[in-house]
Amino acid sequence: MDITTFLQEHGLRPSTWPMFADPAIWRFFGEGLRETVFLALASVALSFVAGLLFALGRLSRIGAIRWASTAYIEGVRALPVLLLIVYFDIKGSSLFRPIFGPDFDLPRFWAGVLGLSMYTSAVLAEIIRAGVLSLPQGQTEASRALGLSYAQSMRHVILPQALRLMVPAMMAQLTTVIKDTSLVGTIGVFELLKQGRTIYTQFFNPIEVLIIVSVIYFLICFTLSQLSRRFELGRVPRLAQVKIQEVQLRDQAA
Amino acid sequence: MPGGIAFEFPRLFFGGFWLTVQISVLGLVGALVLGTVVALFRVSPIAALRWIGGSYVEFFRNTPLVVQLFFLFLGLPFMGIRFSSDTFENLFRAAIVGMATYHGAYVAEIVRGGLLGVDKGQLEAARSLGLSYPGMLRYVQLPQTFRAIIPPLGNIAIALVKNTSLASTIGVAETLSAAEIVETRTFRTEEAFLTATLFFLLLTVPLGIVVNGLERRLLVAR
Repeated sequence: MDITTFLQEHGLRPSTWPMFADPAIWRFFGEGLRETVFLALASVALSFVAGLLFALGRLSRIGAIRWASTAYIEGVRALPVLLLIVYFDIKGSSLFRPIFGPDFDLPRFWAGVLGLSMYTSAVLAEIIRAGVLSLPQGQTEASRALGLSYAQSMRHVILPQALRLMVPAMMAQLTTVIKDTSLVGTIGVFELLKQGRTIYTQFFNPIEVLIIVSVIYFLICFTLSQLSRRFELGRVPRLAQVKIQEVQLRDQAA
Repeated sequence: MPGGIAFEFPRLFFGGFWLTVQISVLGLVGALVLGTVVALFRVSPIAALRWIGGSYVEFFRNTPLVVQLFFLFLGLPFMGIRFSSDTFENLFRAAIVGMATYHGAYVAEIVRGGLLGVDKGQLEAARSLGLSYPGMLRYVQLPQTFRAIIPPLGNIAIALVKNTSLASTIGVAETLSAAEIVETRTFRTEEAFLTATLFFLLLTVPLGIVVNGLERRLLVAR
C-alpha cells in the first residue's frame, strides 16, 4: 500500500489541506492567537502584583496576615484552574454581587483572566517566597544593621536579588499560563483552540486543525522554555531548588 | 450545609467523584509506566532512542493538555482509531490515555533525573561484576532511583488529580461535569460548584500534606 492511500484511509485526506493556503484561515487563527496572548499577558501582569503581595504576606511577621496568605496560596494551589475559571464565569455570583449588584455580568475575557490570575498569583507567590528564603540571613541582618527599615531592606536589598534569581522559574510559569489559556475557550472566549474548534466544526477536519494549533502552542512554549534557561543566574540553593521543583511539578503540569 | 446538594444528586456527584478517582489512579499508573520507559529511552546508550525520548518529553510538555485530549477523542476516531466501540467508554478511556501521555512526559523527566543521580561508580561496578545492562538497571539503578523520586512523583499525582477536571471538556461525567449538569438543572450554580470544589479538596489536600511531609524528610536525609 502506498503512502497516499494509507493517509487517505486514515483521515489525512489531501483534499482538506489546500484550504490552509487561504490567508483568511490564517487571519482567523491569528485572531485566536491574539486573544491567547492578551489573556496570558493580562494574567501574568495581574498575578505578578498579587503574587508579590501574597509572598510578602506569607513572610510577614504579623500572624493574621501570614495565616491568611498561607491559606490563600495553599487553598488555590489545591484546586483545578478550570474550576476557578468556571467559577469566575458564574453570572451574578456572590463574589461580585455585594459590589456590583445582582445583574453584574463579568465579561468572559476578564473571567478567564481572573481565573488564570488567581491560580498563577498563588504559584508566583511560592516562587518569590522561595527566592527570598534562599538568600543568606546575613543580607537582611546587614541591611537592618545599616539602619534600613524592614520595608526598605525588602525593597532595596532582598527583593531585587530574590526576583532576579527566580526569573527562570517565573518564565517557566509563563509557558504554563499560555497553555492554560486554552481552558478559557470552554467559557466561550475565542482564543486559539476555540478558533480552531470553530474551523473544524465547519470543515470536519479536526486532525489537521489540531495539528496546526498544537504546533503553534509548541513553538511559543518551547521557545519560551529554551529562553528561560538563558536567565539562569547564579546558583540556587538546595532548599529553594526543592521548592521550585515542587511548584514546577504540581502547578506547571496544569 | 455546604456540599449538601451532593446528597440531592448522589448519582451525579458521587458517580462523578468516582470517575475522577478512577481516571486519576489509572492515569497515574499509565504515566508512571510510560514515564519510566521514556526516561530509559532518554538515558539509553543508543542516540536514536535518546532523540525519540527527548522529542516526546518536549512535545507533550509544551502543548496544552486540552488540545491533546481533543486529539484523542476527536482526531483519532477520524483516523479510524477508537479506544472502545461504546461512546462513553471511549471518552473515559481517551481521558485516561490523555492523562497518562501528558503526565508521562513529566514523570520521564523526574525518573531521568533520578537515574542520572545514581553514582556512576555503582553502575560501573555492577557492569564489571558481570551484570548485563538490563540487569544493572533492574537491580542497581532503578531501585535507587525510585526511592529518591517519590516526593516529586507525589507532586505529579496532585497535578494529575487537578487535571482530571479537563476531562469535562471532552464530555466525561466527572466531578466538574456533575456540577455543570446540576447547575443547568437547578440553577443553584454556586452550591454546585462549591460542592465540586470540596470534592477536589478532599483529594488534593491530603495528598499535599503527605507530599510536603515526604519532601521535608528528604531534605533532612540529604
